[in-house]
Amino acid sequence: MDRVDRYTCEQVFQRLDDYVDRELTEREMELIREHLAICEWCASTYRFQNGMLQELKTKLRRVPSVAPDLMSRIHRALEKAQAETPAQEGDAG
Amino acid sequence: MPDGVEKQSDAEAFEALLSPILDAAFGMAFRLTRNRDEAEDLIQDAAVQAFHGFHTFETGTNFKAWFFRILINIFRKRCVRRKRAPECTALDDAPDLYLFVQASQAGIEAPNSNPAAIVLSRMSEAMIAEAIAALPEEYQVVAVLYFMDDLRYEEIAEILMCPIGTVRSRLHRGRKLLQKALWQIAEEHNVVGGLKK
Repeated sequence: MDRVDRYTCEQVFQRLDDYVDRELTEREMELIREHLAICEWCASTYRFQNGMLQELKTKLRRVPSVAPDLMSRIHRALEKAQAETPAQEGDAG
Repeated sequence: MPDGVEKQSDAEAFEALLSPILDAAFGMAFRLTRNRDEAEDLIQDAAVQAFHGFHTFETGTNFKAWFFRILINIFRKRCVRRKRAPECTALDDAPDLYLFVQASQAGIEAPNSNPAAIVLSRMSEAMIAEAIAALPEEYQVVAVLYFMDDLRYEEIAEILMCPIGTVRSRLHRGRKLLQKALWQIAEEHNVVGGLKK
């Protein structure tokens, strides 16, 4: 039987980024949750990593609003691109 | 069907797919370029290029991933052309928990026992964007995708057309490098000095 029933601090640390991103299997997530509940050092490391990432996400997502006319500028650019296409096709043919 | 009619419907179909993701695309373009005009220009170029290749897009697949891939490729080409951004300062490998360790060693007092959080809370969006821009390009792009959108590793891999393992390793190393860049920028802008007791 090779089923792991608990993680060491090192095993938790190696998986902490993936744990924060929920990119582990449910079993791995559970093993880490169990470890964090009893290990204050790993729990504080997790709080640091998670807190830092949330702070960065919050700040980086504050971007200016899209210009109201951007979609219409794109529309005009596409019309122009379309208008140029038949000439290219004619040249090729 | 006459060419004109078919192309008109293609344009409508393309714009119908682009419109709902425009905010996300602009957010990413803005964080990559750090400039509104450049971001809008990047999106327009990506839209025209994507429209020209729209016949290669498979209906029902992930339009956002497909469009982001085109946008990122144009950004990369511009960087090469302008020999720009990697504005990266020399970021050697950073040890784990770099920001936490540096902030602690600097003697920053933190009532909640996390001095790194205090440093980050004092950093503006522009400073954090500056730190992202200081990363080598392959880390910069993956970091922007990661931070700007709640994309899973699999989706980032789809956009970048690389294995999930590559995304995972770039994110892990990128986070460490980012901590180092954040610390350097916090020092340059006197965020750290202002917090020392």
